[in-house]
Amino acid sequence: MAFLVGALMVTIQDASTYATFEMASKKTPESVTVVGQLDLEEPITFNTSTSMLRFTAVDKDGARSIVYYNQPKPTDFERSEEITLTGLSSGDTAFFAQNILMKCPSKYADEAQFSSK
Amino acid sequence: MNFIGEHSLWALAGRFFTYLAFTGALGTAIFYGLNWLRPGACSGPDELGRPRPAHEPFLRAGRGAFALHSIGVVGILTVLLTAILSHWFEFDYVWRHSSRDLPLEYVFSALWEGQEGSFIIWIFWHAVLGWFLVRGAKTWEHGTMTVVGLVQLVLTSMILGVYVFGIKIGSSPFVLIRELPENLGLPWTTIKDYMIRIPAFRDGQGLNPLLQNYWMVIHPPTLFLGFAATLLPFAYAVAGWIERRPLEWVTPALPWAYFGVGVLGTGILMGGAWAYEALSFGGFWAWDPVENASLVPWITLVAAAHLMFIVKKKKTSGGLTAIMVMLSFLLVLYSTFLTRSGVLGDSSVHSFVDLGLNGQLMLLLGLFSVGSLILLLVRWRSLPRSSADEAFSSREFWLVIGSLVLLISAVQISFSTSIPVLNKLIGPDGLVPILGEAMAPPTDVFRHYHSIQIPVAIVVSLFMAMVPFLRWDSTPNALLKRILPSLIASLLLGGLAAWGLKFDQPMYSVLLITGVFAALSNLDLWLRYQGGGWRSGGQALAHLGFAFILLGALISNGKKEAISQNPVFLHKDFPANEHILIPLGDTVSMHPYWVEWTGERVEGHFQLFDVNFYGTAEDQSPGKKLFSLAPYIQMNPRMGNVREPSTKHYWDRDVYTYVSFADMRSPEEKASGWAEEMDATMGRGEEVFVFEEYMMRCDSIIVKSAQMIEETGDLATLDMAAKLTLKHMDGRNETIEVPYGVRGNEASSGEAEFVNLGVKVRFDGVSDEPGRFKMKFWRKAPEEQEFILLQAFIFPYINVLWLGVVLMAVGTALAVAKRIAGPKPAPKP
Repeated sequence: MAFLVGALMVTIQDASTYATFEMASKKTPESVTVVGQLDLEEPITFNTSTSMLRFTAVDKDGARSIVYYNQPKPTDFERSEEITLTGLSSGDTAFFAQNILMKCPSKYADEAQFSSK
Repeated sequence: MNFIGEHSLWALAGRFFTYLAFTGALGTAIFYGLNWLRPGACSGPDELGRPRPAHEPFLRAGRGAFALHSIGVVGILTVLLTAILSHWFEFDYVWRHSSRDLPLEYVFSALWEGQEGSFIIWIFWHAVLGWFLVRGAKTWEHGTMTVVGLVQLVLTSMILGVYVFGIKIGSSPFVLIRELPENLGLPWTTIKDYMIRIPAFRDGQGLNPLLQNYWMVIHPPTLFLGFAATLLPFAYAVAGWIERRPLEWVTPALPWAYFGVGVLGTGILMGGAWAYEALSFGGFWAWDPVENASLVPWITLVAAAHLMFIVKKKKTSGGLTAIMVMLSFLLVLYSTFLTRSGVLGDSSVHSFVDLGLNGQLMLLLGLFSVGSLILLLVRWRSLPRSSADEAFSSREFWLVIGSLVLLISAVQISFSTSIPVLNKLIGPDGLVPILGEAMAPPTDVFRHYHSIQIPVAIVVSLFMAMVPFLRWDSTPNALLKRILPSLIASLLLGGLAAWGLKFDQPMYSVLLITGVFAALSNLDLWLRYQGGGWRSGGQALAHLGFAFILLGALISNGKKEAISQNPVFLHKDFPANEHILIPLGDTVSMHPYWVEWTGERVEGHFQLFDVNFYGTAEDQSPGKKLFSLAPYIQMNPRMGNVREPSTKHYWDRDVYTYVSFADMRSPEEKASGWAEEMDATMGRGEEVFVFEEYMMRCDSIIVKSAQMIEETGDLATLDMAAKLTLKHMDGRNETIEVPYGVRGNEASSGEAEFVNLGVKVRFDGVSDEPGRFKMKFWRKAPEEQEFILLQAFIFPYINVLWLGVVLMAVGTALAVAKRIAGPKPAPKP
């Protein structure tokens, strides 16, 4: 029983929190999860020599941050409705994402083509 | 109205079979239930142990109802399969999940891609397993079949697709697109030949390209058979507890529990094999919520199945066993809730669509959970009092401890997987706001899960190694010595292997030794003490298989090596990139290989990238060619491109590679790249400096043709051309004419290209200043060196894992076969 409680405690402590970019910069070097959107107005560039993706994201508070992600661009990145970034902030200059999860428009949206006819 | 080309009769048949299955399940529950719970029948066999006589009409009615239910289920499957095979895209389900070009073998994948389809396959397996109870459960038939009937009633309600007082009950796969709520009343739904007129009906959306993999043909049905198998022990447990036989139910339920352990375990790892082959997340297990949701019921089922032996042999631990059995089934329900409700949207790579059935899913989950809990509470006192504590050296003592350890593992995985659910319940925006801020899943899932699961695996493998040598009641010390040879051998062998592999975490080395211990001791047990025959080998082989799974997972993941390292240093907290850039035709070093990208080719929906692997010669230059791989990108205009790996299998390691980036534009697109757009306004005789290296001069304006409107004298059409000369600083020059025209009030713009100098010009309208016009310029983008980014891993000894899966499946199959074959006492050590 004690083991069970102990395991549960460890588990709960390990859970991270959803943060904004501002909160993320205060928590450095702790990893946080930021939910936001891709800023399509700003350029999305991919540096092939470092294979580093650079883009701008807007968090739930509307704050913008440059995000670096050292992976190639995910498929259909521009089409994402929402992106979940896991990573850490480097003070206030940029956010380094270790993982990106995208929520894409549901494929059910395609069915709208029937509704419009 | 009759719609042309529509198969509405088939849709009707599908609906009919659904209602038949639903009514049949209701009848099963009612008639079996009446027979079972009628006065005097509730307590199972009579005082002399004879089965109480069944009420024949009710029994026959119950069986009849279940037969009708089964016909309904088979009918549903037949209609849906026919619709998919025949490409009847007026069916919403068919349109959403298949297309004309879908290869035949993936028709099945399409069948269970959607939620409705996966419910159907689950219901189907329940119906099949139900017949084993009808044929073989004897005195347990009434009780267990009542439970099966109730479960089937609830599950078929999930595919009913009817509205009761405006509330949607279930989602039917037989809805026509015309009948979807959002389309009701639209004008096209009243057009007789709408199917011909609307082009969207000619082809379906297609199956998600990720699921177009042969593992996806067999993984879902196997997994769901495993899920379905948890129903039988559950039904026996419920029947047993209601009948106040809280121990006896275990004997008939036991083979089914092991059947579930084997099938579900195989099904889960088939999913792992699919992930390894078709997904590019680099491995067979990612602790994704969806994977976790199927793993947790397996863990509790393993615990339950082992506890059932104690109940059978020692008549104790009845309570814990029932809890574990019921938990397994409830966790299967919970897992379907998690994966279907859309609640995991933020935390899983699998995208799920909310069909608006959350309320119903929660209701059925709540119903069965509360029901089980009440049953346990009400009947807890009917458990026989255990006379004495278990001895420290007894098998039962350690089996109980082992199952509690498994419970810890299950609790941790469930908790972390359920974080999104907890947010919905007690988060800041939840039902009962307790938490100040929403919890997010752990940022490093591997570290998070491994911190608990690795120690659990160590304990479990120790138990697997030793408990089979223990005896019921207590074990004489002489027998304990039998473990010694395998203990010493595994310390040596495992220690040597751990030293050779150089794990960076001490826990991994410990698990390696205990894993080897579990494998060796079970092999020893089987060969030396159980005669080494197939009949007796089930237990030992299954344990051996599971030990191999642990070892294979440990080594292939713990020593997984990303050989595609990008040498650029980024930041000390930001790991160096694991993608290597290969220019076309170039050969780059990727220790211990050299890789060359020779080109790409298109085969059907696939764009393949040919990559050659060379060894490294003594002087560090590329050595001789070893093998070629062709990782590919599956092109799907509807759902996006999917990167799929290609793997070279050696007996002791896999070289796994996929293309993480490639320029997917067509050759024409790549070649026609115009860049650096620029504007200028100019008039005749004027010069502009463009792109900082050219001088552009407008030599003259030529009128090619002009037409007047006779009556008014206004211009009707005017075709002109501007003669332009482009002069490079190095003296090269070129003269072209850019046509443009005016039609009434509309100016048409023409384009022309300085072919030799690589500049394009477009007339962009007349300027406000008289006699001047606007121009746009582009110049040809410099020829880009084509390249791909490749990610490559070495997975050492991953075949140990797959071998383990096979051994575990064979072992459990043997164990189940032995249980079914009858009671011949196996020689126990």
